[in-house]
Amino acid sequence: MSTDRIIIHIDMNSFFASVEQQANPFLRGKPIAITGKDQKRSVVTTASIEAKRLGVKTAMSTWEAKHICPSLILYPGDPHKYASVMERFNAIYQDFTSRVEIFSVDESFLDVTEEAGDYFGATFIAQTIRERLREELGEHITASMGIAPNKLMAKLAGESVKPNGLTIARPQDVIALLDRSELQDLCGIGPRIYQRLSNLGIETFKQLREFPLEGLQAEFKSYGVWLHAAAHGHDSSYIISPTKKGVRGVSEEEPKSYGHSYTLPHDTHDTLAIKRYLLGLADKVAWRMRRDDYSAKRITTHIRFGDFTSVTEQRTLNEPTADGLTLFQIAWSMVNHLMPTSRSNDQPVRLVGLSASQLTHDRQQQPLFKKEQKVHSVLPALDALQHRYGSGIWTRASLAKTHFKKRSGACPTTPHDADCQHSRAKRR
Amino acid sequence: MHELLNDPVDVVVSFKDNRVFPRTMRWNQHDYNINQVNLVHSAHEGQKRVFFFSVSDTSNYFKLKLDPEILEWRLVELYTDG
Repeated sequence: MSTDRIIIHIDMNSFFASVEQQANPFLRGKPIAITGKDQKRSVVTTASIEAKRLGVKTAMSTWEAKHICPSLILYPGDPHKYASVMERFNAIYQDFTSRVEIFSVDESFLDVTEEAGDYFGATFIAQTIRERLREELGEHITASMGIAPNKLMAKLAGESVKPNGLTIARPQDVIALLDRSELQDLCGIGPRIYQRLSNLGIETFKQLREFPLEGLQAEFKSYGVWLHAAAHGHDSSYIISPTKKGVRGVSEEEPKSYGHSYTLPHDTHDTLAIKRYLLGLADKVAWRMRRDDYSAKRITTHIRFGDFTSVTEQRTLNEPTADGLTLFQIAWSMVNHLMPTSRSNDQPVRLVGLSASQLTHDRQQQPLFKKEQKVHSVLPALDALQHRYGSGIWTRASLAKTHFKKRSGACPTTPHDADCQHSRAKRR
Repeated sequence: MHELLNDPVDVVVSFKDNRVFPRTMRWNQHDYNINQVNLVHSAHEGQKRVFFFSVSDTSNYFKLKLDPEILEWRLVELYTDG
């Protein structure tokens, strides 16, 4: 039963922002927001603790965040750095128990039932982990921890004191923990569920506990059973340890789709420019599929316009493909008629996206025509180059002038890149 | 001010406890004394693993990239306070 277990939930505080503040001491103590590549047209992916205190929230547009907090420093995200730090803190957890579930990029569950023995032992493990994090990652990368008899209560406990908190909820404490929490604090009760509970007159966990199970089942079907159990502090879900280690320590489940989208530097009516970005995205998606030995039978394209309206179209293919040019041709045939010139409201395009799904390991058949055969035979050589030197080692001539903004962790490989302006650091 | 760069630089390092510590960096005919190694992380470029050192002096933050295959250092990021 779940009450026999001891689970630690560890959540890195303002993870991306904390990593940047650890790396760059001149960002410490300041409100910073980690953004996408194009800061003016991006959203806040993580706000630092200082920025959160000033009202900046995750997923806010950078424009809105700057409006709320004019002193906010916008900083481009560096996924390689975060992945590397994530790999390291999960390796630390593995030193304490083999039963580690990577719940998200900055959250993990540890089942320490055997290693800890009791809640005193679990507290000692949590404090030791905290010390290891400080020693090996730095004192500015902090975590909030919760210890409880199951994952659901451990997460609720961990999130009750931020930042850098440690909250222990023994089996006899979980009802008190629930009763001092809001319904929406619980993982699994989002705004819609909350609204429906509210419509039933349920505003607190006490009211949820006292509500008849039959009534919850009538409203929520099987989810009503889960809500009833959660209100009593019960959760029988197990730790899902990675069965196969990926390059970053993350479990490698079978992918369902591969996709890329790109917010254009400026909203545009230029069909040729949109066409080029779509081709670039198609090549990226195709490369990732070939790298992982997949082909796709369904292509989905997505266009977002300047007024934030969107259109999505998809097509199922007779033959699976992992060729960028083929993906592009299919995608373009779908979206061509959706271009601004073809639409009545004439909105410029803001974002293009392409994804490939219905994945299969079946190989694409050899093309019939000689010209296509030649193109097809070049792909293995290009893939070998990308395996050896990384993506971006080759590009189509037609895309030579199409510039995809890079993140800071992937600086251009040539010193002549237009983005690489020489400058002089401030001298002491 | 935050800039992305890709400039080859000379770096003097010390080795301690199986770790590498950049000590000084020469860039644009100027020497910078590194006071602090704040974070070290790695990334893959194709099959190659490269290392990034986030370091700082009293006024600047530098991100240095070490390519262990060709033992080359590059300054890839600069943030100057103020």
